[in-house]
Amino acid sequence: MKWLLDVLKGKWLKHPLHPILVHVPMAMWPSAVIFDLLSQWRIGGNAMVRLSFYAIIFGLVASLPAVPAGVVDWSGIKKEKPAWKIGLYHMILNLVVAVLFAINLGLRAQTFREATKVAGTPLLLSVVGTGLLVGSAYLGGLMVYEYGIRVARMSKKKKREIAEAGGANVPPE
Amino acid sequence: MLKDFLEGKPLRHPLHPMLVHFPIGLFILSFLFDLASLVFPFELYLVRDSFYAMLLGVIMALIAAVPGFVDYTDIRSDHPGKRTATAHLTLNLIVVAIYGINLGVRSSTLDELKTPIVPLVLSLIGIALLSAAGYLGGRLVYDEGIAVGRHKRRTPTPEDTLRLSTANDAKEGDVVFVSVPGAERLGNEETLRAEINGQVITIAKIDNRVFAFQEFCTHRFGPLSEGTFHGFDVQCPWHKSRFDVRTGKVTNGPAKVDLKTFRVETRDGKICVGVPCTT
Repeated sequence: MKWLLDVLKGKWLKHPLHPILVHVPMAMWPSAVIFDLLSQWRIGGNAMVRLSFYAIIFGLVASLPAVPAGVVDWSGIKKEKPAWKIGLYHMILNLVVAVLFAINLGLRAQTFREATKVAGTPLLLSVVGTGLLVGSAYLGGLMVYEYGIRVARMSKKKKREIAEAGGANVPPE
Repeated sequence: MLKDFLEGKPLRHPLHPMLVHFPIGLFILSFLFDLASLVFPFELYLVRDSFYAMLLGVIMALIAAVPGFVDYTDIRSDHPGKRTATAHLTLNLIVVAIYGINLGVRSSTLDELKTPIVPLVLSLIGIALLSAAGYLGGRLVYDEGIAVGRHKRRTPTPEDTLRLSTANDAKEGDVVFVSVPGAERLGNEETLRAEINGQVITIAKIDNRVFAFQEFCTHRFGPLSEGTFHGFDVQCPWHKSRFDVRTGKVTNGPAKVDLKTFRVETRDGKICVGVPCTT
């Protein structure tokens, strides 16, 4: 099991895995809103409706592997740290967003092959889902850029050597 | 201020890493449409949708380039991550150029059922280079801590490291005092980064007094010359360890080991830092 945890933590890549994987849903779902709106404005026709549909699917499929990688990163945060709670909200929000887009996809499945514009309900679901996603992703970003989660963890040894060479006091290994 | 906005300071989050999700995701989506068009040539609009996804990707890439470039200029010139950042920037410019050409090549074949070989190969090359560039961008954040905690800092960060020699200065016991050019011009909460006899030192002005202490945080060795000041405490930008600059003592974790501090004295109007003799 340890090997699986190491894979999910991205040790083999020297880079945490979760932030890499989330690029796809994070790009697909807001883009779906843009494609939905374009179709509403009569740009692109059925090609645009299909594009939005496929973007939502790709986002959903790609979000699946991001879940275990994210949970592993979150479980490495000490519970008393503020980032733990932020991570929890981030996780809950992301689950809600994924469910909303799954429903959204179901609503489109019957019509996306012929429709020339996206209907009101799926468009609304895209907008709401994207709004929540942006909020959730912002929390994810705060964990990195405000709280330094996973920052300089895998490069700690290299950094220690640089600090030692620079005459710094360093903690015992 | 425009620079602060482009660095995402009001958001407490850099803008560039937010925006890059779009080109990365959309270029991959575009390539999947290309592959799908080869497998399902009877499906309508796959080639056209590949083009649309790519077009939005290029637009977003150009938007992301602006805060990315501002972030780049903010990295200290002798920072170990600077070369990685240069490679990241160069690769991404090449990727955008390739996708620009790709869009041009495709624009006349939007109604085909299969993506032709030339744009397909261009997409494959684009994705390979983009993956490498994106990976380097991630290493900049997760290895080098670029932009981590930067929004907390109100004063500019040092642009480079002053490299000073003690050759011409007289020893006083086991310490030698070296004058630090520019230290007298520091504003409050501004810092210099200096390397004297191999010692890497942050020189900071707080409450009109100048202090000198080791550059590297004792937790994960973050850059204290890019930290923030809270009374006489310096806070590491990465994980918020705090140290009293007067004594070097840890005042807040996660760090557990105290900083090395150095004596600062004014001699003939020049600010001098006392570093241990090397011999």
